[in-house]
Amino acid sequence: MKRISWILILLFLIGGISLTGMDTKEKRRILEELLPHEVHGWEAKGKDELYNPQTIFNYIDGAGEVYRSYSFTFLLARRYSKENQPDIVADVFEMSSSRDAYGVFTHDLEGEDAGVGRGSTYKGGLLSFWKDRFFVSLYAEEETEETKKALFLLGEKVASSIQSEGEMPDIVALLPQEDLVEKSVHYFHNHLILNYHFYVSDENILLLDQETEAALGTYREKNEKSHLLVVRYPEEAMASQAFKSFTGAYMPDAKEVGLVQTEDMKWTAAEVKRNFVIIVFNAPSVPFARDIVEKVVNIIE
Amino acid sequence: MGKKVITRRDFLKVAAMTPFTGAWACSLKTKKGEEPFGKSGDDGKVKVVLIRNENVLVSFNKPDPAVIQRMLDDAVSTLFDVKDPVAAWKQIIKPSDIVGIKSNVWRPISTTREVEQALKRRVMDAGVPEENIGIDDRGVRRNPIFQNATALINARPARTHHWSGMGGCIKNPVTFVRYIPDYHGDSCSDLARLWTEYNIKERTKLNILLMLNPLFHGIGPHHFSNQYVWEYKGVLVSQDPVAVDAIGVRILEAKRREFFGDDRPLQPPAKHIFLADTRHGLGVSSPDKIQLIKLGWKEGILI
Repeated sequence: MKRISWILILLFLIGGISLTGMDTKEKRRILEELLPHEVHGWEAKGKDELYNPQTIFNYIDGAGEVYRSYSFTFLLARRYSKENQPDIVADVFEMSSSRDAYGVFTHDLEGEDAGVGRGSTYKGGLLSFWKDRFFVSLYAEEETEETKKALFLLGEKVASSIQSEGEMPDIVALLPQEDLVEKSVHYFHNHLILNYHFYVSDENILLLDQETEAALGTYREKNEKSHLLVVRYPEEAMASQAFKSFTGAYMPDAKEVGLVQTEDMKWTAAEVKRNFVIIVFNAPSVPFARDIVEKVVNIIE
Repeated sequence: MGKKVITRRDFLKVAAMTPFTGAWACSLKTKKGEEPFGKSGDDGKVKVVLIRNENVLVSFNKPDPAVIQRMLDDAVSTLFDVKDPVAAWKQIIKPSDIVGIKSNVWRPISTTREVEQALKRRVMDAGVPEENIGIDDRGVRRNPIFQNATALINARPARTHHWSGMGGCIKNPVTFVRYIPDYHGDSCSDLARLWTEYNIKERTKLNILLMLNPLFHGIGPHHFSNQYVWEYKGVLVSQDPVAVDAIGVRILEAKRREFFGDDRPLQPPAKHIFLADTRHGLGVSSPDKIQLIKLGWKEGILI
């Protein structure tokens, strides 16, 4: 009996290993097919490198946490070279969903719209875009007129190799458009990314995790900037618990539930509606904060 | 009693007095300050030497070997109040030491071979045989010299960092860590912990934060664009890793203000530097506890 158990364990392990090996091989093939061998005189150099969430730190150091926060599955990195020109590095991230590809794209929105894929930016020798479940970063080690041309051509080729468009996360549509600052919307899941864009607390007081979805946007009224955070929890009970946790830690001195004037004389307002928690930070006045919350509630309803 | 939750509001309380990042230095003191790290200057302050030379760079990532040697010699001599740089090195390195020069090989801006060799030369001048000196970055955990090192020299370039706000001397020994993501929580706020957990604090004799061509802003997965570097042509030297980083981050912030034309804090804030002081007692971050000695070229010094 013991011998049979060992054989079964061995077969399971062999099966698991070969399945993982096949997955990786197949994944490499799919990702490699998205990238051309040559673009504008730059040719693929060396062997492509494939990284997963465990090995990504060997490639991009602490920035790997960003991609792990969006459940990326694989990253294929290819280097292109051309004589007397800086190298170009193409990184193709496959995320587990198009929502996460959009989300990781919104992590860094600096730059001009490049018109590539479903959303893109170009700045300082970096062209990045998302399409379907892919986030693509094309980076020239030095920006020149030639590298810029090559990056755009490469971007267009990669984008056209991705057949599906992919959907944006619907929670983003809950952010009212009026006064919303352009390129200020971030979509994410966990409190590490929330704190990156807008520091709330060292502890996870909103009980965010990979199952929660959040949209953060900046609103401008005259010279004042406010931040609206909308979080969707898998269940209503979880939203209620998160609301209680947040108000307990962030506004223990509130005279009214979910409303407090903070030390900078601005207002923070929070509300729970169904499985959503809505929070406005840094509002210049109570009516401004309440107005934004009400608009979100109306869209939810 | 549970750990106190720190929220944005805690920082708003002191934000009126200091910039947001500096708030970490002024609030939430949980660790009693220790004696100044290494050689102290006036009024018991921690000494940091900033030396700059207009001619140090031959090209972007290539210092002139003779100039960088002279800069390091002058900085170390000043730090230890002696005329002879070798005499200064002998205050921190014994001939019997096994010395690891902890470098940094980040592709766009590295410690550079010229800096590594300048440091190695002086360690040898202090009497250490060449076979007892190692230079390494990502391989330190497998390197026998580093495994047995009795003294470490910590040298790396300053740059903004995607996850910790700034890559500096506090962060540099992170390659000693078994599983680096263990230190990534809350934007690497507790990086200083590795200095005690991996016995780095006692062994590190000198911290050199290279400000030759710092990166003051980053974009994309590789967090680099040649638009956001400038030739500052400086080097910061101290025995206190927190103090050099605290000065370095202020120079980066000043450059960002100059470049962007408004106050644009690091994203994320480099709070690990201030928490290294206030939470972990690794060194000092507050400017009023640092004696900054400026040598050499002054144009565009920013501090």
